Amino acid sequence: MNNEQSKIAYINNEPFKVQGDETILHFLKRYMGDNPVPTLCDAPNLKPFGSCRVCSVEVALEQDGLTKVQASCHTPVMADSFIYTHTHKIEKLRKNIVELVLTDYPADKFETDNPNTNELKKVALDLNITPDDVRYAPGANHLNRSVDEDHSYMRSDLAACINCYRCIRACDEVQGEMVLTMAGRGFENTVIMGMNEGFKNSDCVSCGACSQACPTGAITDVFNSKTNEVVETTRTICTYCGVGCNLDVAVKDNEVISITAPYDAEVNQGHTCLKGRYAFKFYNHPERLRSPLIKRNGKFKEVSWEEVYDFIVDKLTTIKSENGPDAIAGISSARCTNEENYLMQKFIRAVVGTNNIDGCARVCHSPTALGMQRAFGTGAATNSIIDLNYTNCMLVIGANPTAAHPVTGAKLKQAAMKGTTLIVVDPRETVLARYADYHLQLRPGTNVALLNMMLYYIIKENVQDDDFIDNRTEGFEDFKSQILALDMDKMAEITGVDKDLVRNAAVAYAKAKNAMSFHGLGVTEHSQGTFTVQLIADLALITGNIGRRGVGVNPLRGQNNVQGSADMGVQPHQGAGYLDITQEEVQNIYTDFYKVEMPKEVGYKIPEMFDAALEGKLKALWIIGEDVVQTDPNTTKVKKALNSLDLFIVQELFMTETAMLADVVLPGASFLEKSGTFTNGERRVQRVNATVLPIEGTKVDGQIIIDVMNRMGYAQPAYNAKEMLEEISQIVPFFKGITWERLGTNGLQWPVAEDGSDTEIIHLEEFKRGKGKFSYFDWKETEEIIENGEKYPYIITTNRELEHYNCGAMTRRTGNVDIITEDVLLINAQDAADKNIKEGEMVCVTSARGKVDIKAKISKEVKPGVMSTTFHFPEIMVNLITSDVHDSEAKCPEYKVVAVNIRKSKGKFANA
Amino acid sequence: MSENLRKLSGRKGLDNNLFEQLVNSSKAEGTPTDEKLKDLAWEYLMGNANTYGAGSFYDFLKKENKGKKAYVCNGSACLVADTQEKVTETLAKNFSKDEIGEMCCMGRCHENSAFNVRGRNYSGMAINNLKKILSSEVSGLEKYNVAANVSNPVLTGTPLNAESFKALFVKADAMGVKNILNEIDNANVRGRGGAGFSMGFKWESCRITESDQKFIVCNADEGDPGAYSDRYLLEVQPYSVLFGIMMAGLVVGADRGVVYLRAEYSEAINITQLAIDELTRIGMNGTNIGGTGFDFTFKIIEGAGAYVCGEETALLSSIEGQRPEVRVRPPYPTQEGLFGKPTIVNNVETLATVPWILENGGEAYANFGTQKSTGTKLVCLDSFFNKPGMYEIEMGTPLSTIVEEFGGGFKSEVKALHIGGPLGGIIPTHKISDLELDFESFQKQGFLLGHASVVSIPKEFSMVKYIEHLFEFTAVESCGKCFPCSIGSVRGKEMFANAQQGEPINQELLDDLLETMEIGSLCALGGGLPLGVKNALQYFKEEIIK
Ligand SMILES: Cc1cc2nc3c(=O)[nH]c(=O)nc-3n(C[C@H](O)[C@H](O)[C@H](O)COP(=O)(O)O)c2cc1C
Ligand code: SF4
Ligand code: SF4
Ligand code: SF4
Ligand code: FES
Repeated sequence: MNNEQSKIAYINNEPFKVQGDETILHFLKRYMGDNPVPTLCDAPNLKPFGSCRVCSVEVALEQDGLTKVQASCHTPVMADSFIYTHTHKIEKLRKNIVELVLTDYPADKFETDNPNTNELKKVALDLNITPDDVRYAPGANHLNRSVDEDHSYMRSDLAACINCYRCIRACDEVQGEMVLTMAGRGFENTVIMGMNEGFKNSDCVSCGACSQACPTGAITDVFNSKTNEVVETTRTICTYCGVGCNLDVAVKDNEVISITAPYDAEVNQGHTCLKGRYAFKFYNHPERLRSPLIKRNGKFKEVSWEEVYDFIVDKLTTIKSENGPDAIAGISSARCTNEENYLMQKFIRAVVGTNNIDGCARVCHSPTALGMQRAFGTGAATNSIIDLNYTNCMLVIGANPTAAHPVTGAKLKQAAMKGTTLIVVDPRETVLARYADYHLQLRPGTNVALLNMMLYYIIKENVQDDDFIDNRTEGFEDFKSQILALDMDKMAEITGVDKDLVRNAAVAYAKAKNAMSFHGLGVTEHSQGTFTVQLIADLALITGNIGRRGVGVNPLRGQNNVQGSADMGVQPHQGAGYLDITQEEVQNIYTDFYKVEMPKEVGYKIPEMFDAALEGKLKALWIIGEDVVQTDPNTTKVKKALNSLDLFIVQELFMTETAMLADVVLPGASFLEKSGTFTNGERRVQRVNATVLPIEGTKVDGQIIIDVMNRMGYAQPAYNAKEMLEEISQIVPFFKGITWERLGTNGLQWPVAEDGSDTEIIHLEEFKRGKGKFSYFDWKETEEIIENGEKYPYIITTNRELEHYNCGAMTRRTGNVDIITEDVLLINAQDAADKNIKEGEMVCVTSARGKVDIKAKISKEVKPGVMSTTFHFPEIMVNLITSDVHDSEAKCPEYKVVAVNIRKSKGKFANA
Repeated sequence: MSENLRKLSGRKGLDNNLFEQLVNSSKAEGTPTDEKLKDLAWEYLMGNANTYGAGSFYDFLKKENKGKKAYVCNGSACLVADTQEKVTETLAKNFSKDEIGEMCCMGRCHENSAFNVRGRNYSGMAINNLKKILSSEVSGLEKYNVAANVSNPVLTGTPLNAESFKALFVKADAMGVKNILNEIDNANVRGRGGAGFSMGFKWESCRITESDQKFIVCNADEGDPGAYSDRYLLEVQPYSVLFGIMMAGLVVGADRGVVYLRAEYSEAINITQLAIDELTRIGMNGTNIGGTGFDFTFKIIEGAGAYVCGEETALLSSIEGQRPEVRVRPPYPTQEGLFGKPTIVNNVETLATVPWILENGGEAYANFGTQKSTGTKLVCLDSFFNKPGMYEIEMGTPLSTIVEEFGGGFKSEVKALHIGGPLGGIIPTHKISDLELDFESFQKQGFLLGHASVVSIPKEFSMVKYIEHLFEFTAVESCGKCFPCSIGSVRGKEMFANAQQGEPINQELLDDLLETMEIGSLCALGGGLPLGVKNALQYFKEEIIK
């Protein structure tokens, strides 16, 4: 070790300390800055490759001794060696290599490109060489390669390709899609997509990693993200999913031009998916709402902000005085910032005076928050995504991260490909399932039974962690006897999964040195969702996989700020910071802080709001950024409920299905137009920075709320992210040490102590609730199957596609729509044959609620008896058929199990 | 090299080997169908691009190979012998132009006129009997001399057979790993694949690397035109080679041995496979070898036509079904080799010394040759010699002895010898007397021993044309990964092609090109080519720079 520490090498005869096995390039960078020597094939998030050779240096064993030329990017530093970076010999070598490259490079492109965006040109100019200096006679070249312009985003013009392999390596090492390769050999090597079929026909998922990697723009995208001449960029956070990717947004004349991913982002290390990188054109789409609207005689009319505020304030005041505050409710948005969510719940609680505040977490991860609070005391991920680097086993339950959390999904896939054990519990053969060591392909709705089987075998095979159970948990003995009483054959029959396979998977999870679990909506959106979460917690407890690197229970939070909206108190039973609003001391805290009397009763959850509206108890509802008509289950009922309100306010970017039903529509602003913070799925609070001014006629959502607050008599200063955060940090205990400045570029993971130190892993020494709590649950067939299973013998489970986001209001207004154009029904070949349905034919799907026509896609992804579909397009309205069965505890709807019947459609789309 | 692809391929490993599947699926039509490439990509969890891209690399897998029925050798020895035009013309009477392809060296350099039809190699007078060949099933007979200048030859003595293999295994097993390694160390064998790296050192570093799995790979991709010594060993002494592989496995704790054998050597593939089958029959291949509890299974992986696959890291990628592009080192194969596991890659001839060493002792081996270059070396002489053939020569023997006594002198006037394959040195005849057959002597004089194949360049053959051929060989065989080699070889070729059209060579530019390739290339293909060209520039300048 001593030896290691004192390892020294010389750069141009000056001694420096060497770190471990670092490469010469790494070593040089540490002492000479970012570009100590030129490079072409090297890139920040790729492994050393050694193809361009312009990074070469001379290395000698003694000062000014005999040297050897070595490529610095992949050669480790030798102790006591003398590295010479700019000798005559080396400069000449670099220049001669670039001269060779220029023999096959379009001179006109060299001429016109900007050296700041074309790395080849930069390197060439630095070496003082241009195409005019090429001494070779014209010869074989690739200047006539055709361009590829067929894809909605990706572009290639390979005449400018220098065969550095960066694109290929990015697609492999970063995204893991392996769409790109060289074809041919030697000088004839050509980058191709798929089977030499261009981007559009290949399996490209448009992540843009290749475009970002390319040094010359030979592979680029419609926005020329890498090569456009914008120099002003603003760093912000993606609006789409809970991964929370950092984005560098390039702006020109107050217009977003393109987006790239910063390499130094701890969350995404230079990567994003196509939504983050390319799907931003919705923000200034012609269909953006640009004026407040009031519906009169069934027609929307554009009105001024003053008029709309007066209208709202007047109505709300009347309803409140006539029906009491509880006749008013709000649904806040996980797309909005923490500050805005905080404001919305504050408005509902402190200004209106009711706890009728809820958010979309209700329809996704409410069971996670509740289940994990019950087991551990905190309803958030125990660990961080970086723990993937330390884990030996990944258990993925009811989640399809390669589509829904693409950057995390890519990391999981990368780890699986490299050999980390992967267990997938999912009714569908997802992408990850194909890479899994164990795929437990259960019948939808049997999660509880399957997890009980895993727990049974862990106990039965005696692979539990007794020390951990003894020291850090409670309730184990009871739990154990209940589990052991189960009949595995019966469970195997219920789940449809071979019990030996379950045993092997359970043992693999238990025996792994460090095992991490991940779960998604396939866990929560069930009638037993909360119980399932508690059983996942049981698995972590029984195997001691809590409280260190590479372990834990890690919910994959759906929307970008769904974690944050709950943290901020967008829940009817807990205020900002998860404080229980029924407790008197909590009420006192809030009352002191907000300087008003606080409501004491638990408010309505979203489904209860609809019921209350139908019953006439709820009169006014204000929804921010949620298309409940399209995305909530049982559309017919939702519509009816909304129509029975006296005042329905929708704050939106677009005229969604929900907005159409509103009395008042408020044009909000997109993430690109506002500042604040988002909290990602690993509790990381990150700065959102406005990149452009709000589109004319629209307002930052937080400001809209504040305007109404003030008009209703509550003094709240104008919206300012930094000041809002200051207010929040005074009331949310785990935000105590958070300030705008401290968040810096990579944010902080809560809890953040007063001194600003944050927390990557929680429950280290003890659980938030003291001991981890074991809980046992019997599996119960869902009401949906019990009631409708006979008449509707197939099961549909809903899911999403990578290319679209939720109701699609944003992604359908971007180029993504050309990639995936419609919702489809994935159906097993056997079921299709039984019903005489062919690929691409319309299928009529009926449930106890209604029916939809949808196009069939025959797929191995689903087993016979099970079908799957997405819900991104209003044309289909898949939620017409979904049920309003809910999780018994958290009231999250059961999207994942819908009893249906199918037949070939004879309806209007029959020949579509 | 992709770590992902390597690991994904490793999931199925050698038993259901991706590359083998690619090769097999090309047998019917000369190239795998697109459907097959997609199926394989799906099965191995890779992208379609990966199987497609891998297939497109190899002469005998790429789409252009579809429908090829006959191949003409285009290697250096046949080129300078000026025999191939006639071969092509004769073949063209029986095959359409599209059905005739090219192959780079079939190891028939001792009689030339080499061609391949229906997977068999022919040479010498065979082309005169093409009709008969096409109607029969016999392999082309060939004749070359074999002799040694030591009394107890290491490599060319009485061949081992299955039974003597077994007996020797029993003996070795009794010696134990430590003693085996000791003998190998004492013998001080240096790798015969070209680089001359110590075999014992390589084994030891693989042995001490901890892993649940290790591999031994025998590099039988002998691609140097002019060389056929590995072919000789595989066809005549296959048990010696296999024994060497098994001993490496015993020493380092590997249970799989791969012979990566070039497709151009179909006879060698058949004979080696027969030897493996015979070993299987007597319980010397598979589990519990000879009842000792040692498991070891051989497997031949057939190449698909790519010289660079002889480079060890490209070779490993090839077996993995990846594009065989050279990898950066470290990690070395002994640390992270095949499927990411510690792997020994040794040349055929290197491994074939092992039985003799264990029988006679490492010291006896080291008594042959010089201090630093011990043992004997196989040397291949081409058809310009009066006695073409493959000779086992004690290291340190004067080159002139080989030329005069073994080769019997030249048939016609020769101006230079190209020794060590395309990446070797070009030795003008007057320098022959200054050289001895060992690594040091060659290096000191500015040449390279390499694999010690000898191609004679006749007096009347233009040096400019020969250099063009060398650049072209490099351009065609370059893996294309590093800039100096992939672009430089093409520019070099063009320079020398233009020179034949009267365009004078710019010597400063040529010097720059050679230096760029030599010090800039990632591997010894681009890095090695300049040596011969520089020799030619030194000794035949007036022919080149006019
Ligand atoms: C372009 C190139 C081609 C090579 N071809 C061969 C070959 O055909 N056979 C071989 O044994 N080694 C070949 N080598 C050398 C191998 O990389 C490696 O050094 C050798 O197989 C190690 O075995 P040895 O130590 O027993 O010599 C080649 C190297 C290069 C750079
Ligand atoms: S966009 Fe992404 S998936 Fe598509 S080729 Fe590029 S790196 Fe691969
Ligand atoms: S397209 Fe760009 S990144 Fe890909 S090999 Fe060519 S120059 Fe490199
Ligand atoms: S020198 Fe040639 S063969 Fe070797 S790595 Fe470079 S391109 Fe490939
Ligand atoms: S057989 Fe033609 S060069 Fe060897």
